[in-house]
Amino acid sequence: MSPLQFAWRSLSRRPARAVLGLTGVAVVGALLFDMLMLSRGLIVSFRDLLESTGFDVRVTATEALPGMGPVVSEAAATVEALRRLPELAAVVPVRFGVAAVDARDKKTREVAIIGSETRRRGEWRLVQGADLAEDSAAGRPGMVVNRTFARDQGLGPGSIVRLASTLTPREFRVSGIVEFPFEAAAERMAGVTLNGFTRAFPSARRDEADLLLVASQPGVGAETAVSAIRRARPDLHAFSIDEVLERLRQAEFSYFRQVSFVLATIASFFALLLVTTLLTVSVNQRLGEVAALRALGFSRRRITFDLLAESALLVGGGGIVAVPLGLLLARVLDSILRQMPDLPSRLHFFVFEPRALAIHLAFLVLAALVAAAYPVILAARLPIAATLRKESIS
Amino acid sequence: MSAPVAIVEARGVSKVYPMPAGPVEALRDVSLTVAPGEYVAISGPSGCGKSTLLHLLGCVDTPTAGSLLFEGRPVLPMGEQERSRIRLRRIGFVFQRFYLLPMLTAWENVELVQSEAGMPAAERRARTRALLEYVGLGERAAHLPSQLSGGEMQRVAIARALANRPGLVLADEPTGELDDETGEQIGDLFDRVNADGTTLVIVTHNPALAARARRRLAMRSGRLAAPSVGAGS
Repeated sequence: MSPLQFAWRSLSRRPARAVLGLTGVAVVGALLFDMLMLSRGLIVSFRDLLESTGFDVRVTATEALPGMGPVVSEAAATVEALRRLPELAAVVPVRFGVAAVDARDKKTREVAIIGSETRRRGEWRLVQGADLAEDSAAGRPGMVVNRTFARDQGLGPGSIVRLASTLTPREFRVSGIVEFPFEAAAERMAGVTLNGFTRAFPSARRDEADLLLVASQPGVGAETAVSAIRRARPDLHAFSIDEVLERLRQAEFSYFRQVSFVLATIASFFALLLVTTLLTVSVNQRLGEVAALRALGFSRRRITFDLLAESALLVGGGGIVAVPLGLLLARVLDSILRQMPDLPSRLHFFVFEPRALAIHLAFLVLAALVAAAYPVILAARLPIAATLRKESIS
Repeated sequence: MSAPVAIVEARGVSKVYPMPAGPVEALRDVSLTVAPGEYVAISGPSGCGKSTLLHLLGCVDTPTAGSLLFEGRPVLPMGEQERSRIRLRRIGFVFQRFYLLPMLTAWENVELVQSEAGMPAAERRARTRALLEYVGLGERAAHLPSQLSGGEMQRVAIARALANRPGLVLADEPTGELDDETGEQIGDLFDRVNADGTTLVIVTHNPALAARARRRLAMRSGRLAAPSVGAGS
């Protein structure tokens, strides 16, 4: 009978205790798994969002986040200069603004407007109607709107959007409904051309950009593209996605990393405590049996393997259950956290990664070994004769 | 012609347990030789050192002083691993409290020690079947210890002790948990085990069981009294 079979029979002997242990490990393991997903979830999710745009480099005037700091001046010339760099495949200037619209309930509502060129890559995803086209000299400029804006205003392809203004009327014709990568759940958003943007915001300077979206040439890579931009335009600040994420990791997202680290440590401690306690109680209750087995010639190694196998079954069984349980729990927690205002609706706090699963499994192996250490020492160093004597007296 | 090598031989062994109130001498200069095929019973009051002597003879413990030979080989220089191997292959133990593993059936309890000794599966099966038949429990092989009576559990324990064909079987109060009638049946079984060639050393309070031995030893205060020879000799 192998140690694993032996351990299985030992656990089956007290099913209530085994189930209790497995449940405890599963719950604590689920929490640990969730914390592993949380520790990198925002970064992974944010990377997905950034990559979904199809641009792997962002260029701003300063180190401030786009829209939060000074703009890139002489945008047209800058864009042209960058487009000449052989390392770059595309350079798209982007402008951000917030306008007001008269809602159907006569109140005004804010709408975030992105001014860009016609869609080059993944600035947005067309859901219905037609994409943004070059504006004709005459007539209303085109606009794409997100679903929230369309629903609020009853918009569809062909509808007219009138921005609230006491001056000249600012009207746009909706060409289609789109989904922006970074739109928040209740956020009204619209996309217009750069010309359309200056129509929406007459006071905005024409030749400026809040952000330049840059795509590197295939095979060149973002880091090389960033280096090329820094050489050509040291006055600008270029960031690869990795660099953006590193900044977020150090600042904005560090809170979640710290919380997940603390909770993961606590969860690990409880998992270890639980399994160690269960195994120690189990060994203490069968000291006579262990001593008898040793007297019958079972080696210390065999007793050690039996206990390790028991620990592995408890931790392994609980750990396997912990994965689906953790995924379920993560879904619930994610939906709660995503209700925070102004968060991109496609941003997730808990993201499953093979890496999180690998760390979870590695931890379980370690936990099984560490949890078994004390009971193993207890059993292996058991004085056989003294224990048998004590057991027969008791 | 030279005399056969003793199964186990204790030469002037002593055992001292360090205690908070001062060392306790459990055995004092005990010498005992058990020859192959012998049936030895050791009796004496509680705390006289019977079990301690049995544990030394069974290589479970080591003496504080003196020497111990098992099948002619000195036990003291052996490491724990070597002594474990001897206990597994050459010694069988029967305990007062049986110590059958409660989650294993009678069959599995007997088979487990053979499996640990590396006996091939087919041989294990045949041996287990034969042993359970031998102790009269062929029909109870699939029963858990909790489904067996005390006498039946001790029979399984005896089958387990015999599983690896040991040269020596040691029994510590084997009838201590049994009623007189069941104790008699266990005594009969031990007689048969010895008659079939297995050396037996039994520690017991039970005079009826001790009387079955061919050599009876009395212990008092850690010393062996003069031997007396049983009726069977």
